[in-house]
Amino acid sequence: MKLDTDMKLPGPLLAIKATPLTSTVGVSITGCYISDLLSDVLAHAQPGALWVTIQIHRNVVSVAATKDIAAVLFTCGRQPDASVITEAEEEGIVLLTTPLTAYEAAGKLWETGLR
Amino acid sequence: MSKPPITAAPTDSLRTIQQLMKQHKISGVPIQNGAEVAGIVSIEDIITALDQGHINDPAEKRMTRQVVCIRDHFSLVRAVAEFDRRGFGRFPVLDTSDRLVGVITRGDITSCLMQHLEQRAEQAIAHEAALMASRGEDEKAQRIVLKVPVRTGDYDSAGKISQRLRQLLRARAIDPDVRRRVAIVAYEAESNIIIHTLGGEITVAIDPDKAVIDAVDTGPGIEDINQAMQEGWSTAGRLPRELGFGAGMGLPNMKRCSDVFEIKSGTSGQTHLHSEIFLRKATGKL
Repeated sequence: MKLDTDMKLPGPLLAIKATPLTSTVGVSITGCYISDLLSDVLAHAQPGALWVTIQIHRNVVSVAATKDIAAVLFTCGRQPDASVITEAEEEGIVLLTTPLTAYEAAGKLWETGLR
Repeated sequence: MSKPPITAAPTDSLRTIQQLMKQHKISGVPIQNGAEVAGIVSIEDIITALDQGHINDPAEKRMTRQVVCIRDHFSLVRAVAEFDRRGFGRFPVLDTSDRLVGVITRGDITSCLMQHLEQRAEQAIAHEAALMASRGEDEKAQRIVLKVPVRTGDYDSAGKISQRLRQLLRARAIDPDVRRRVAIVAYEAESNIIIHTLGGEITVAIDPDKAVIDAVDTGPGIEDINQAMQEGWSTAGRLPRELGFGAGMGLPNMKRCSDVFEIKSGTSGQTHLHSEIFLRKATGKL
């Protein structure tokens, strides 16, 4: 099963060995934005982007949904509460986590060609 | 029933009546003596007459004299009951002054019912189609108003209003970009009340052509609105900042996403934020 979901991950997420916290079926990312400030994301992230953040509060899901963000990558191995994961599933937003810092993740994502 | 009824006189021969039946494709002929129904000749009588060789007799000699008639004001249900009870193939129909007005058969009733059924079915289909169409129109024309109280410090509820708005606007097939702008204004307005005020209320009215968001709180008010409108300026405390609020971008975000944006506040009182987003065209920038 695990292999199955991994297979469906877009290349950049595979490259940084992100661990999915939600279903990842059909996810595609068209860009990336890194910020821990919600309003900043609302102002500057593009719909369909991957949002890299250290914030794990449920507001992340609300903001992602408001902005039609495709996936959220939590850095430094942070994991949100189960209720946040459930909410993300309901909103159709993919959540992932990585032990990398935002800076390391950004570097690797950039190397895959993700702009 | 068939009307006017095909009738014959008592003196007409059964052969004449047989020809009448053939000509009009009917199976029974009332025999009229003046205005009165004197009898009835059925196809069975004709067959018997042919069989027994008295087809040239006058009707009055062979007709059924005890004619059972029904009234023209009887319901179809009662007529059907009479057919069942008597076992006859047809009834002459009389009006209240005993005048013969027609002849009714089971076939008449069946085809009448079929016709009605068909009409009803057509009406039902048309009605349903009209209903569907008007419902669609209503949905588009209807003004939806959401009035949601917002509590201070309720960081866990932030985004509930914008979530409902997204659903509503998606259902109305509003352009995704416009939809996002409405959701952002609602989200920022809600967050502001949660972070900075003693509580308040957000009212959103969605009209066919615009979404109007009014956020009113109970204080303490904004000291310097111009300063608050500057990006990066925030008075948010530690907790909201830790949660990712307090970027100092809420008001500028709202302004940028709105087609009409007004904010009124005094240090002593409430703040009223008014935003309009036109749903039909994308005028704001993101």
